[in-house]
Amino acid sequence: MNSVSPSGVQYRVGGAAHDDRPSAQSRHHNGHGPEPDAIREEPDEVDRLKAKFISAWNNVKYGWTVKSKTSFNKTSPLFLMGQSYLFNSEDEVERFRQVFVSCVWLTYRREFPQLEGSSLTTDCGWGCMLRSGQMLLAQGLLLHLLPTDWRWSDCHPLADVDFELLKPRSPSRPAGMSLPSFSSSWTSPISQRDPGSGSAEGHRRTPEQCPAARHDPQVEALHRKVVSWFGDHPSAPFGVHQLVELGKESGKRAGDWYGPSIVAHMLRKAVARTPEFHSLAVYVAQDCTVYKGDVMGLCESALTQERPESGGTGWKSVIILVPVRLGGESLNPSYIECVKNILKLNCCIGIIGGKPKHSLFFIGFQDDQLLYLDPHYCQPVVDVTQGNFSLESFHCNSPRKMNFSRMDPSCTIGFYAQTKKDFESLCSAVSEALSSSKEKYPIFTFVEGMGQNYGLEGQSAGSQDGPANIFSCNRTSRNNKRGSTDEFVLL
Amino acid sequence: MPPFETTQHPKPFKQRKSLATRKHEVAGIRTKFPTKIPVIIERYQREKYLPPLDKTKFLVPQELTMTQFVTIIRNRMTLMPNQAFYLLINNSGIASMSLTMAQLYKDHKDEDGFLYMTYASQEMFGHCEPQNNR
Repeated sequence: MNSVSPSGVQYRVGGAAHDDRPSAQSRHHNGHGPEPDAIREEPDEVDRLKAKFISAWNNVKYGWTVKSKTSFNKTSPLFLMGQSYLFNSEDEVERFRQVFVSCVWLTYRREFPQLEGSSLTTDCGWGCMLRSGQMLLAQGLLLHLLPTDWRWSDCHPLADVDFELLKPRSPSRPAGMSLPSFSSSWTSPISQRDPGSGSAEGHRRTPEQCPAARHDPQVEALHRKVVSWFGDHPSAPFGVHQLVELGKESGKRAGDWYGPSIVAHMLRKAVARTPEFHSLAVYVAQDCTVYKGDVMGLCESALTQERPESGGTGWKSVIILVPVRLGGESLNPSYIECVKNILKLNCCIGIIGGKPKHSLFFIGFQDDQLLYLDPHYCQPVVDVTQGNFSLESFHCNSPRKMNFSRMDPSCTIGFYAQTKKDFESLCSAVSEALSSSKEKYPIFTFVEGMGQNYGLEGQSAGSQDGPANIFSCNRTSRNNKRGSTDEFVLL
Repeated sequence: MPPFETTQHPKPFKQRKSLATRKHEVAGIRTKFPTKIPVIIERYQREKYLPPLDKTKFLVPQELTMTQFVTIIRNRMTLMPNQAFYLLINNSGIASMSLTMAQLYKDHKDEDGFLYMTYASQEMFGHCEPQNNR
C-alpha cells in the first residue's frame, strides 16, 4: 500500500457499519485526520488547518512531549511487564512489539458527554492520573480475562524507535523513519501512511508478522469488551465519568488533579461495585503494608457468594495496589534498584506515577530508564457503545523512556494474582525483590494476619504500654497547660 | 479539601534552634525519660493536603512500632484510613512499618540526638493550572 486512499475507503466502509475494523482511523491522526474528509468531499482547507493547529496546540499544551525517537540499547535487557527482551535480533524486537502494542493505552479525550456536576467534556490537562490508573486496571483485566499468550493481532509496527542493530537490515521498519509519528499528525497526513508505518498495512502483514497472535474472534471480542469498559461514557464501569463520580467520595471534583493513592481507591471501589467483576477483587495497601490476612479475606469472600462463573475455585483473583512515597522532594535514588526489581516481576502490572505533575504509566525499564505509556495526548472521543468501534486509538506503537531520576516519588505499584497459589508466590517473589535492594528498609512489606491486629487495637491485647496509656498520656498531657508548641508530647 | 496554611512554623525546627540548644534539650529529656525516644515530626514543606500538627516534639516509647506510631499521628490529625500519609525519615526514605522506634533511632538519629521525621501525603498530577475558581 502506498497511498492514502485505500485506507480511507476502508474507513468509510467501516463508517457505514459493515466492517468491524475501521482500521484506517489511526490514532496518529488525532481523530480528525483528513482521509475520511478527502473521500467524502473536498475539505475546507482553512478548517482543516485550523483543526490541525488546535490538535497540535492541545497536545503541546497538555504535555505531550514531541520527541524524535526512542533509542533502545541492544546489549542490555529491556523489561516489559515482567518479561525481558534483548534487542539483538529481529525476533526479539518483534516479540517486544507485540506485547507493547497489546497494552491498552488510555489518553486524554475530548468531546465526551458532559461530566455530571460540571461543564467539562474533556479531561485534557487534569485527568492524566485517572488515565494512568485506567491503564493499570486494564492491564490487570487483560491478564485476568484473556489467555496469557494473547497478543493483539491487529497490532502495528513500532514508530519512533531506534534499535541500532536492526536499522540497516530492515528498511521497511519505522526505525528508518525520520518523522515522529505524533508530530506527523499535524505535519503531513501522508507521511505516516508511509510503507512500514501504515496501520492498514500493519494489519495486512499480520499473518507473518504476528505468528503468535492467533486471531480468535472470541478472544478479540473480549479484548474489545475490556477496552469498552474504559470508554468515555457514563455507562462504562471504568470510564472517566464513573471514576470522577467515585472521586467525589474523596472530596475530588471533575477538573481536580488526582494522586496515585486516591486513584487506587477509586479503582478498588469501581471494581467492587460492578457485579460483572465478582471474580476479581482490588486490595489497596495502607501505610505501605500488605496484610496477607486481609487479602485472603477479600479473595475468599467469593466462597460465600459462590457463582458458577468464578470457576468454582472459591477464590477471587486479586489486584494489589500499593501506594508509596519514595522520597521527599525527589525520588530517593536508593529505591531505584528496588523499583527495577519490582518491574522485573511477572506479577507486576505496572506502576502509576509520573514525572512531577505529569502522570505516566510505567510498564518496564531498560538500564536507567523507565518505559512508559503517556496519557498526555488529546484524542477525540471514541463511541465504545458502537459494537465496531475502532480500537486503534487505544493502543500505542511508540514506546518511550525517561530517566529514573525524573520519577516523582509518589506512585502506586500494581500486582495481579489469579489464584491462591499465585498470590502465595507473589508474596514471596515481591518480598524477595523488595529486600534485595541496597536500601536497608523495603519500600513496603507483606505482613501475616490482618491490619486490625497490628494497629493500636492490637497492642492493647499485649502486655506493656497499651494504647490506653498512650492516649491518656496524650489527653492529660502536661504540655497543654503551657500550650507551647515547643514542649514534648509524651506518648 | 482546601489547602492548609503552607507552613506551621516559618522555619524547620533545626533552623530555629542551634545545635547546642538542641543537644541540650535532648540531654535534659533523656535523663528524665531514658527509655523514650525524642522525635521531631514536621510537615513536608510543600505538603498541601495534610493538616499541620499542633506539636513538633514527641517522646515515643522505644518498643513502639512504626505501624503504631503512624496510627497515633494519623489519629491526632483525624485522617481517614484511605488518606495517603507517609512518614519520611530524614526527609528521604520511608521506614519499614514493622521496625521499632529503638531500631530506627539507632540507625537514623541526628547528631543532636533527635530522630527527624517529615510527614507527607502524595503529590497530585495534572498539567495545566488546576481550576481553583469553581
